[in-house]
Amino acid sequence: MSDNSSGVWVVGEQRGSQLATVTLELLTVGRSIADNLKEELSVLLIGPESGDTIRILEDYSPDNIILITGEETQHYLTEIHSDSIASLVEKNRPSVILFPATYDGRDTAARLAARLQVGLAADCTEVRVDETGRFVQVRPAFGGNLMATINQPITRPQLATLRPHIVKPVKPTKKISPRIQRVTAVPASSGYQKTVLKTVREVADESGNLDEAEVVIGVGRGLGGKDKLTMVNQLARLMDAAVGGSRGVVDAGWLPHNQQIGLTGRVISPKLYLALGVSGAVQHLVGVRTAKEIVAVNTDPEAPIFKVATFGIVGDMFKVVPLLIKELETKSPIESTVQAK
Amino acid sequence: MLRIVVCVKQVPDVAEIRIDEVKHTLIRTGVPSILNPFDEFAVEEAVKIRDAVGGEITVVTMGPMQAKDALYKCLAMGADRAVLLCDAKFAGADTWATSKTLAMTIQKIGYDLVICGMKAVDGETCQVGPEIAEILGIPHVSYVKRVEVKGDGKSLLAERSTEEGHQLINCSIPCLLTASKALNIPRVPTVINQMMAKKKPIETFTAETIGAEKDQVGLAGSRTQVVKVFTPNLRSGGGKIMNADDLQGSVTELLELFKKEGIKR
Repeated sequence: MSDNSSGVWVVGEQRGSQLATVTLELLTVGRSIADNLKEELSVLLIGPESGDTIRILEDYSPDNIILITGEETQHYLTEIHSDSIASLVEKNRPSVILFPATYDGRDTAARLAARLQVGLAADCTEVRVDETGRFVQVRPAFGGNLMATINQPITRPQLATLRPHIVKPVKPTKKISPRIQRVTAVPASSGYQKTVLKTVREVADESGNLDEAEVVIGVGRGLGGKDKLTMVNQLARLMDAAVGGSRGVVDAGWLPHNQQIGLTGRVISPKLYLALGVSGAVQHLVGVRTAKEIVAVNTDPEAPIFKVATFGIVGDMFKVVPLLIKELETKSPIESTVQAK
Repeated sequence: MLRIVVCVKQVPDVAEIRIDEVKHTLIRTGVPSILNPFDEFAVEEAVKIRDAVGGEITVVTMGPMQAKDALYKCLAMGADRAVLLCDAKFAGADTWATSKTLAMTIQKIGYDLVICGMKAVDGETCQVGPEIAEILGIPHVSYVKRVEVKGDGKSLLAERSTEEGHQLINCSIPCLLTASKALNIPRVPTVINQMMAKKKPIETFTAETIGAEKDQVGLAGSRTQVVKVFTPNLRSGGGKIMNADDLQGSVTELLELFKKEGIKR
């Protein structure tokens, strides 16, 4: 099974007609894995082809760009994605396939793993080739209390989903002109009927994308009410941040369920997590454990959030946030020259 | 009559887990075992669907004898029948081996609709549901936040969360769904229902019952191998905590941090 497999594949993702940043992160990780294994790097993209996608991908120097298109790829549909990739795997026998640990990435990867009867390491925070030339995966478990190094000794390909933000996208200095291949998606099975009636994009709302945002603002019970979100959203816009909340906030109906941060909500890894009026229950802290910086604002100096904070302000968020907004507004690029005097 | 199978898992209450700072291991003694919170959404939805269109709910779990407690909770919530997959051969299963074992069990029980929690809070892979569906050869809809089974029990309408919004999907039955938190608010079983549940029988299945060979299940059937387990560099926090006296000063320092991190603007 493991014999003649070769090639590192990354399965990219698009947001509308735009490439998702996580695709470029996967290409960066994939390039390093492929170089270490001395194998080729391929990127797969499923869905309608759009304008400058190929040009952007080319900057990251994959050896192959494989575009899977067809009428059935208009909407994301798990079975079409997993069946289409499976058919390419059977033909080309890659050794490693990396997916983003997003809703759709996890969904396709699991179905594909079962189809190929191979292993899958979920939600990895690191993948690398070790000193013996093995591909290894590192992933958190038990709410981030424990890390496990995983290996897939027998079966190929070795599958892994990678959390967004674990690396910064880096364009390799050595340029390669990738081969571009276009294939048609495998048609739906006749054994069942599954159709997407509509796909609704809700990015227009203030929440942003919790999984992918570099900055996340989390609000706790200290917010006091749904109407106070206006101020928080204003700050979020200035910081290009996504907004989430604690369980208390979601249970109170101030934010929808998909914006709950924590063990029974979303586990996030932003560069900066700004916790406003969040006391820091364990189940919440587990969800932000891998954030690079945690900034906490809370009136209670004893709030557990301060124990994990890299910077804390014991103070009223309703005083701190307006100050921040004022400072960030005057620092906006257009006015910065005036500000500098 | 809709045959509904719900897969559940007993998990340690992850919020209660502490790390032994010296030995760098998990302290699991005294940590209560609970029904995986996401499975409660799955059971609740199964009960609602059965009450609406008629049918029978079987809950299945794989685990040691004490995992019966998780099954009793499901019975108290309204499940009709419970199966415990308990066999030393099942031990050490990764997601593939777990999915294979559960799929073989579901096949044996007979099913129309399978519902799983979207993830377990201990492993957090979100994989088992979709893998079971692929092994059974049925479609699945993951991260479901709303579902409506058509009166004839032949198809359903499901709303699924995506990275940037949601999808509305029409799917024929048999199929598998994975439940997200937004799906419902699980009922809290009454004391009487809890007592009644304890009197219900729990069927125990072994590898032999489901016709699984030794190398298909447990550690032997697993595709992934854990090479090493370690505790992460825990956030020490230990950051600078400013008090309320000089908010402007605090904010200025915070802006410096933003700048250092390259936060936009």
